[in-house]
Amino acid sequence: MGEVELSCRAYVKMYLHTCLFPRCSINGLLLSSSPTGGAVCVTDCVPLLHSHLPLAPITQLALTQVDVWCSQTQQRIVGYYQANACVSDNNPTPCALKVADKIAEQFDNPVLLMVRKTEVKLFYRLSLTCWFNLDIFLLLLDGSKMSPDYRVPPIVLYERKDSRWILKDKHTIMLRQWEETRAIASQMMESGDHTLLVDFDSHLDDITKDWTNQKLNTKIEELASPANGNI
Amino acid sequence: MPLTLDNRVVECYRSEEMRDKLRKWREDNYRNSEQIVDVGEELISEHASKLGDDIWIIYEQVMIAALDCSRDDLALTCLQELRKQFPDSHRVKRLTGMRLEALERYDEANKHYDAILQDDPTNTAARKRKISILKAQGKSTEAIRELNEYLEQFVGDQEAWHELSELYINEHDYGKAAFCLEELMMINPHNHLYCEQYAEVKYTQGGLENLELSRKYFAQALRLNNRNMRALFGLYMSASHIAASPKVSAKVKKDNMKYAAWAATQINRAYKLAGRGTKENKCSMKTVEEMLESMQITMS
Repeated sequence: MGEVELSCRAYVKMYLHTCLFPRCSINGLLLSSSPTGGAVCVTDCVPLLHSHLPLAPITQLALTQVDVWCSQTQQRIVGYYQANACVSDNNPTPCALKVADKIAEQFDNPVLLMVRKTEVKLFYRLSLTCWFNLDIFLLLLDGSKMSPDYRVPPIVLYERKDSRWILKDKHTIMLRQWEETRAIASQMMESGDHTLLVDFDSHLDDITKDWTNQKLNTKIEELASPANGNI
Repeated sequence: MPLTLDNRVVECYRSEEMRDKLRKWREDNYRNSEQIVDVGEELISEHASKLGDDIWIIYEQVMIAALDCSRDDLALTCLQELRKQFPDSHRVKRLTGMRLEALERYDEANKHYDAILQDDPTNTAARKRKISILKAQGKSTEAIRELNEYLEQFVGDQEAWHELSELYINEHDYGKAAFCLEELMMINPHNHLYCEQYAEVKYTQGGLENLELSRKYFAQALRLNNRNMRALFGLYMSASHIAASPKVSAKVKKDNMKYAAWAATQINRAYKLAGRGTKENKCSMKTVEEMLESMQITMS
């Protein structure tokens, strides 16, 4: 029943991934560079796919490659996020749950995020809805709830008990420096930085592109206020 | 001799450039709506007089892109011009319907499409829009049913078969998705993407027979396009899984290990080539190398 903390970098990249492919379902993996135990701190994410999410080969490939990269860089996979193309869907798709189960088989205490978004809006409204249990954290970003000027992350948590998802206290998910994170995400989207984001799908189209998104990470860090230390 | 180009010449050149861009995007069917809106809006507002009859198709293109970007103001402007010029056109009526769809006024949109179909039952565009509405409303089962009915009549419609395969994939109905992709491969046997997607579906279905089929079709995709990285990785993974299966004969195991080894070499080569000159993706190259090594160990 621990806390989940989402870093600026992870949130911004998920947001930009969602904005880059507004008409597609997208997904990705959540990573942590913090030690195990206590709160789950999601420090980074790797955007994976924007097409054919339910198909196995590329997902397996990506999971394996990201796992290898993590062991090379002292990170670990702590979860999975997904956004549906269709906003009228209020629940995680069978695909999301399937992948979540797969991740749960291989990695301890994974976090699962679902991002829902509106289809035809240029500025995507995102809120955070979170379901989790000890084994799986499910985070849903609800497209219908937020305007670009949202002040407080509308976060709703669900907990998994007896194979059902039930509402969980929203105070157990944290975003440090939320105002700043939100501002950075909006600013980068408006200045077109989401086009710099590379997901695994795009990497397979052109393998010179970097799915670890080092350039984007640097940009995010530059925008984050120096006074705040590490976000 | 003037040192600067006459403003009119510059403008003319610029509008030609923009027109060409729009035409290319139209012909290649790109959905880069934000760009189309940017270029199209400027072209329409400042260079309309130079466009001649092209202006109508540009209005249509820009209108659809504007809907995609929530620019209802721009969409309406384009639509009104088209309505004035072509008051009884079914094509324009379809655009009216699309605007209603974008505003989520689905019942009204459906009325427009039904009116078109009353007049012209063979109007495929209107039928497809009705199916799109079902999809937007999350009614996948109905969308699938309607699309199947549509395809009974219009058996050669690649776009429709592909749409249906996507719907089935999202419903995890891989058998039916495979069937759609088989139809697509029959219609268009040289399309490496169809082969590769079919292979991915077969792989997902799992089981030895499906894995062997998937390996064959990944290989076929590579024959059609040797730069298809998904097919290359797919070949590697399917061959590796087959070789690792306890149910195969020694010969099959040996053959598949050969295929996997070949694929691994190609993958390494491709990443080495890609890694030259850029620091950026050195980590993905190392990652792939390590991954291939580790997968080989578990395989034996």
